[in-house]
Amino acid sequence: MSRHTITLTVNGALHTEEVEARLTLADLLRERLDLTATHLGCEHGVCGACTVLVDGRAARSCTTLAVQADGAAIRTLEGLAADGAELHPVQQALWEKHGMQCGFCTPGIVMSLVELLERDPQPSGEAITETLGGHLCRCTGYVKIREAALEAVRLSAQAGSGTHTPEAR
Amino acid sequence: MSAPAGGVFGAPLKRKEDPRLLRGDGRYIADLKAHGMLAAAIVRSPHPHAWIRSVDASAAREDPRTIAVLTAEDLPDLPPLPCIDAEETTRPFNQPVIAADKVRYVGEPVAVVVAEDRYVAEDVAELVVVDYEPLPAVTDAEQAMEPGAPVLHEETNLCDTLEYRIGDPDAAFEAAPRVLAERFATQRYAGMPMETRGAIAEWDPRAEKVTLTTSTQVPNAVKRDICASLGMPESRVRVLVPDVGGAFGVKIQTYPEEILLCFLARRLGRPVKWIEDRWEHIVATTHGREQFHDVEVAYDDEGRVLAIRDRCVTNTGAYLQRLTLVEPFIGVAMLTGPYDVTDFEATAHVVMTNKAPMNPFRGVGHVQAAFTMERIMDTIARDLGLDPAEVRLRNMIPPEELPRPRGLANVLAGEIIYDSGDYAECLRRALALSGYDDFRAEQEEQRRRGRLLGIGIGAFVEETGLGPYEMGSVRIEPSGQVVVHTGACTSGQGHLTTLAQIAADTLAVDMADVDVRYGDTDLVRWGVGTYASRTAAIGGTAVRNAAVGVREKALAIASTMLEADVKDLELSGGRVSIVGSPAGPGVSLAEVAAAAAPGQPLPEGVESYGVEATDIFHPKTNTFAYGVHVSKVEVDPATGIVTLLEHHVVNDSGTVINPLVLDGQVQGGVAFGIGGALLEEVVYDDDGQPRNPSFMEYLLPADGNVPDITVEHMVVPTPLNPDGIKGGGEGGAVGSPAAIAGAVADAIHPGRVTATPITPARVFAALVEAGLVEPEAGRA
Repeated sequence: MSRHTITLTVNGALHTEEVEARLTLADLLRERLDLTATHLGCEHGVCGACTVLVDGRAARSCTTLAVQADGAAIRTLEGLAADGAELHPVQQALWEKHGMQCGFCTPGIVMSLVELLERDPQPSGEAITETLGGHLCRCTGYVKIREAALEAVRLSAQAGSGTHTPEAR
Repeated sequence: MSAPAGGVFGAPLKRKEDPRLLRGDGRYIADLKAHGMLAAAIVRSPHPHAWIRSVDASAAREDPRTIAVLTAEDLPDLPPLPCIDAEETTRPFNQPVIAADKVRYVGEPVAVVVAEDRYVAEDVAELVVVDYEPLPAVTDAEQAMEPGAPVLHEETNLCDTLEYRIGDPDAAFEAAPRVLAERFATQRYAGMPMETRGAIAEWDPRAEKVTLTTSTQVPNAVKRDICASLGMPESRVRVLVPDVGGAFGVKIQTYPEEILLCFLARRLGRPVKWIEDRWEHIVATTHGREQFHDVEVAYDDEGRVLAIRDRCVTNTGAYLQRLTLVEPFIGVAMLTGPYDVTDFEATAHVVMTNKAPMNPFRGVGHVQAAFTMERIMDTIARDLGLDPAEVRLRNMIPPEELPRPRGLANVLAGEIIYDSGDYAECLRRALALSGYDDFRAEQEEQRRRGRLLGIGIGAFVEETGLGPYEMGSVRIEPSGQVVVHTGACTSGQGHLTTLAQIAADTLAVDMADVDVRYGDTDLVRWGVGTYASRTAAIGGTAVRNAAVGVREKALAIASTMLEADVKDLELSGGRVSIVGSPAGPGVSLAEVAAAAAPGQPLPEGVESYGVEATDIFHPKTNTFAYGVHVSKVEVDPATGIVTLLEHHVVNDSGTVINPLVLDGQVQGGVAFGIGGALLEEVVYDDDGQPRNPSFMEYLLPADGNVPDITVEHMVVPTPLNPDGIKGGGEGGAVGSPAAIAGAVADAIHPGRVTATPITPARVFAALVEAGLVEPEAGRA
């Protein structure tokens, strides 16, 4: 198995890792870097639980190889409200609206909604639907996730720009 | 026992568990690591039915990356996995922990390999060579009962036949003016939590003890099974439960992997982890539902059901599991739902086939029962030209006749006695909530324009609050903290919040001061776990009773400290004070706990140290929740695609602890039902090969499949527990397939719906059969 040395930024910290070509980005994050908020629900790119931001764009970390992330800036759920900082509006909204139950799919949904709001602070209903369409949740029935997404837009606008500045792309 | 206005009991509080999970501090099984941990991979049968001629693990063992390989040869004399609801007549077709001479479904464990990590474990698993002699397989339950069918176990595939009879159905049929006969079939689908199964076993040589951390709903039962398998006493086995990413019933089984991991950890002296992948989950974690009902129904010209005969067949797969018989038991015993049917007979065959084993999941048996009974109601309505709602109202058991014993019983669940409620009122409220009458008018109008709209009703009664018992213990620590231990085992239902609400209500303390702990068999000796919509009603009652005991003791201690009579004292804001003056002289609960701590004489009149109490609550019988769903759909005649427009639920779960949490349970259940009604099926081909073992082909409902779901709670407290709580976790999944099926049938009338999933192909075929579209129309 060929080995490669990759360098990537994860939640702002620089990492250099020697990896097998077959190592997925999800396993790099979870097993090597102990960032276990990124969950694996299917390992074939359907459920969306493993969604992280790669250079600002939502991506399935289970079907992304670690070597493909060489040079990239990765953001995971752990980077949103680190060390007891206030919850991100998306996190806060999911709490307020009971948009989560077991919490397993939640990290992926949070990251996709964060991407959406950073791209478009006032997304259309269609854009929200399209974003949520990339995620499976078995617990909630989605109704309260939709309410939470709308609440996140509201809270995000309230928080104003500056509180959660998107990283440079 | 209700809280004063502004209290925590009954309030829509945000969940205590969420901030931690939202920050990424959840610790699910796959997230856990132990020092020196190894990874296991399972070698599974690729054949649905085959003799095992030999298992050659030599190549795997010789590979330097391999730490261990276990096959059946290495594990002789292991007891098979238990089935606790088997009757005397049930043939003992239990599952071996690891297949020895024969495999009976694709995915059955044949060997387990251990290596340093999962990637390598999967590599070396491929080196295990199993020589199989394939046998003909059988996947259809009726074929499996025929002479000459391939036999999975001994003599027959008919594992059991359950028989129920009340009243005199023969006489009723004889006298009946009208009879209908139909088969209503529900497909095989599954709980399918987003988190698969997984476990880590660790061996502690100092304590000579194995600890299994596992994604389960029933840690104490898993512990019992491990003790039996490993031949170890209770004190040397501990089961821990991490955060669980959904369970829905499929995690109430003790699975072979959990036992194998314990063996490996003990043998190797190192922790061993196994995490199921999604393919494994779909082929090797239990399924449910696959059952049909051949019903004959006698009814009169007013639409009143006079009698029902039911022949029910459950395709239960290759082996008995812990609770295999629940699906057939409930499927027939709860068939008549909220309706007054006093002459009834049912025969339920439980049949083994070369598919993965079934075990209960969310809505077990009730889903098929409600689907069948509600299709019957709609069929009668069509026959007589009556509104389907009216036919239901004419048949419902009136509230003044509750409690009503139904003359039937289920093993483990006991006698079926509907305890309380008002089914007709629930239906009327659901009709009002959904705008039923307005929709009928709109539907006529739209049908003239070629749009196929439909509305359907799904009424059900559901056994909830299942026993046998649950443990709750409450104590006040010297800091004033209230610690609750429960045998309930949460997997997303919000128990750390709702059980805290009960304790906080009883002891008049802040929610932040209550800490609910669970999921550790060393902490909870007599726990049962979470399933069968039981935690609020049974686990919650145990917490309530224990908290009441703690309150009494706290007041007795405070009475000595304050030199006041107990009846003059009250609890509020974490303090005991004189009734009517909460800010006046008093003592805090922390001071009370400190006064009762050991190291000093006991306060006068107090008999033991500590301010704590434990209750093990045994309900006398189940409590029966109920609800009515109304679903509105549109059917595209060109494609047969069903679009859900709205879904409405009025649900009686008894007293509501937290309406936000209960809404979430109901809505989530409805989405489950949408999956079952329209999308989901574990498909096997005739040879027993799974056809769709991935999320690309097994279709779970996504956001776009789920319409707005409005939920209204109707509250008729049950007399069976002090808070009047019925179950709420499953009803959403029970009423929805029936309502959706009714709505589709309504939209495509005279086309018919007799089976789920109601796929576009089935709908289109029904439209063609009904003459509503040309057969060629769909080919455009």
